[in-house]
Amino acid sequence: MNDNIKSRIQQIMGRYPRKESALLPALMLVQKENGNNLTKELVAEVADVIGVSLSRAFGVATYYSMFNVSRPVGKYHLQVDTNIPATIMGAVEIFNYLSDKLGIKHGETTPDGLFTLSKVECLASCGTCPVIQVNERYYELMTKEKVDMLIDSLRKGIMPDLPVEYNWGTLCNVLLKNRGVENAKSIAVYKQLGGYKTLTKALKMSPEEIIQAVKDSQLRGRGGAGFPTGIKWGFVPKNTGKPVYLICNADEGEPGTFKDRQILAYDPHLLLEGMIISAHALGCKQAFIYIRGEFGWIAEILEKAIDEAKQDGQLNDLSIVVHRGAGSYVCGEETALIESLEGKRGLPRMKPPFPAIEGLYGCPTIVNNVETLASIPYIVEHGADAFKQWGSKAGYGFKLFGVSGAVNKPGAYECPMGISFDELIEMAGGYKGKIKGVIIGGLSVPIVTPEELKKGPGLKLDYESPAEYGTSLGSGGVMVIGEEFTMPEIAARTIQFYHHESCGQCTPCRLGSTMMTQLLEKIADGNGQEGDIERVLWLCNNIRGNTLCPTGEAYAHPVITMVTKFRDEFEAMIPKKA
Amino acid sequence: MESTFKIYINGKALETSAGKTVLDVAREHDIYIPTLCHHPRTGKAGKCRACLVEVEGLRGLKESCALEVRDGMSVKTHTEQIQEVRKMIVELLLSNGEHNCIACEKNGHCELQDMAYHLGIERPGYLLDYERITLDESSEGIIRDANKCIECGRCIKSCNNNVMHEVLDFGWRSDHMRVICDDDKPMGESTCVQCGECVQVCPVGALTFRYAKGKGPYWELDKTKVICTYCGVGCSIDMFTKDNKFVYSLGTEENWQDQTNKGMLCVKGRFGFDFLNREDRLDTPLIRKNGKLEKAGWDEALDLVASRFTDIKAEHGPGSIGFFTSARISNEENYALMRFARGVVGTNNIDHCARL
Repeated sequence: MNDNIKSRIQQIMGRYPRKESALLPALMLVQKENGNNLTKELVAEVADVIGVSLSRAFGVATYYSMFNVSRPVGKYHLQVDTNIPATIMGAVEIFNYLSDKLGIKHGETTPDGLFTLSKVECLASCGTCPVIQVNERYYELMTKEKVDMLIDSLRKGIMPDLPVEYNWGTLCNVLLKNRGVENAKSIAVYKQLGGYKTLTKALKMSPEEIIQAVKDSQLRGRGGAGFPTGIKWGFVPKNTGKPVYLICNADEGEPGTFKDRQILAYDPHLLLEGMIISAHALGCKQAFIYIRGEFGWIAEILEKAIDEAKQDGQLNDLSIVVHRGAGSYVCGEETALIESLEGKRGLPRMKPPFPAIEGLYGCPTIVNNVETLASIPYIVEHGADAFKQWGSKAGYGFKLFGVSGAVNKPGAYECPMGISFDELIEMAGGYKGKIKGVIIGGLSVPIVTPEELKKGPGLKLDYESPAEYGTSLGSGGVMVIGEEFTMPEIAARTIQFYHHESCGQCTPCRLGSTMMTQLLEKIADGNGQEGDIERVLWLCNNIRGNTLCPTGEAYAHPVITMVTKFRDEFEAMIPKKA
Repeated sequence: MESTFKIYINGKALETSAGKTVLDVAREHDIYIPTLCHHPRTGKAGKCRACLVEVEGLRGLKESCALEVRDGMSVKTHTEQIQEVRKMIVELLLSNGEHNCIACEKNGHCELQDMAYHLGIERPGYLLDYERITLDESSEGIIRDANKCIECGRCIKSCNNNVMHEVLDFGWRSDHMRVICDDDKPMGESTCVQCGECVQVCPVGALTFRYAKGKGPYWELDKTKVICTYCGVGCSIDMFTKDNKFVYSLGTEENWQDQTNKGMLCVKGRFGFDFLNREDRLDTPLIRKNGKLEKAGWDEALDLVASRFTDIKAEHGPGSIGFFTSARISNEENYALMRFARGVVGTNNIDHCARL
């Protein structure tokens, strides 16, 4: 490691209240400078510069999937998202095409050291799958022709620009109002569109007034859990003598979810304005944006926006640091996210204490989702009543949905809370072909069959109606599964994801997901045995609710419904004894 | 005085006080709640999920190791639901790795074995595909068998928080997760100083003492509480012996908070007692007679020393005598010898090696 990199690591350490927080960005930097590879020697040097034990640094380096430790990768690391939303949009075909074209399998590198091919988990690009991440860049809506163009160009040493057309739409014109405006991500354009006016208003309000407005609006967390934001803010203890931290959760890891990036990449100042207002309300002087590691280019957009806002005097005495994750689904859970921000393995903590009391560095901390924070300016500007013009007591306001899979216009749509499911599907161009089932709130919620959708008063997308259909709103990531897929293969691919992402610390999740994966793969491959289905259900029933963090139920619930609602398909895959 | 109140475990009223956990109270009253990751000296961890209990009025099962008691709390520890979750945990652990008790050093005091016994599980119903990990026999005193490890994290916590050597941590994740030394070095090549704290807290046979291997199962050993003879700290040791021969030593766990060493030992207290089993160990004073060392009784030896000191002092003066003491005796003994040198013999010639 040369002195230049060492001093850059020291600079990174200076950004954080505690130097250990620099561990992830430092490892990421060193890996990038070393041709996308991380060696044991480099990990040891980073540990030394930052002043943490070697075991901790190595534990962190091997925890996160983006660190290539003792697993050399080629000049171009082609990472094909094959998670459920990708699979149902043809990613496996693209992966196989690439595999044949390059003559390498998953995890292998071409003999010339140019390409490494990997299957990876959800890249939050579900509306634009198949997606290939090449080093730090996304190539979306890939077709075989585009793959040919990509590989030809990379062979010449050029990262090509391949066109992508995104589908999006809004019925509320709040979160996506600037989505179609050219360069809305620059502060000049954002201000021309009326940006930062609400901040001026908010700074004249007392923190209590803002918190009250948010409470009155009944805004609920948009990350997936739906906890009332104002109430969460109210948990922050006063006068503890400790700093209060605000963390924006931009981990966007739930398969099927690609909504936050619509704000992050196209309207970053809307998020910043929301964060600055929220920080004022919470008495916070240091905020963080924890963004998933794969969103490298979006992290750059955010850093630029923060610089602009600072130059423009919008930040006042608030400092905002963009912290990139390094590949871990579990880090979307707020306590795991905090651990990760502290430079540790992303292991969820036991609760209580909750972060609002004891969070980052043991201090009061509020973790809010991107969409939640971006909703704050509207509430402060127009008041709680205006926010409540949309929706009902089952959920107020506007909400972003991502629709992927078997629809004609997969994309991101902003709709009033409580919009009917059919209307959303219509916005997304309607179903493409016959469907087998829908998952409405990200992969962690139970699957609903088309027959179930036809029953009752009609599914509405809010916090109550989905419960009547045995599912929940989650993150609003809608996946439509076409008829060409079998449920055992969908179930096996689902559990593979959670198994890959299990942090490993608690027994039911670590080994339960392992056993479920082995059983469901066996069934999907036609090698199942009698009793396997019962064993899967027995595991699900004992895992749900009994793991350290919500990950256990995040896979137990959907798998139970896949198995029970499509049991015939599973039974049919199990050879009968002669 | 601390105010007390009652909680109910399985319907039985138990007097307790604030600040304790449900697990503490259950243990005080010999109510068996299995724990694999919680250890009194490494604290709660929430990893094993074995100690889950049902609490009236609370949704879902709760970790009894972390749940603080409240006045009137009503807890159930062995409902059908709880037992089913525990069965799953044991099944999962037994299905992964190699948990063969027959020749295991931990047979008879293995916490996983106990749990399986209480749940009536002889073998798991399904075995996971599992890749065997080579034994780590690289270090002087400790054998690491990752195939028996249940990833409870006690060893890591004790290494980082109790003895603060920061050698152990978890590497990788999901079912690839395993305990590493430094950057996944064999223990003998790592910065481990072999204090053996990790072995002491290990609930299963993943970490065992090399020299205790095959010396006898747990139930054949006698436990004697002794004070370590190596330095003046005075660590309490539970010394395990068989047929009056030393087998291994643990820091005293009983009332560990009140011991100077809080249950921990250093490499010497842990591994430095093999000399006890040597045939040529000194067990009486020796007196050189006609150029040859011969066994003697204590009275004879002390009489000889006293008379020679008296003679030398009379002939050459007290300045001709010097004393050299050691850190292997206590402060009080060092003090007594200083008083003897200065007050009785009358010399300032007294020094101390100040190391072990």
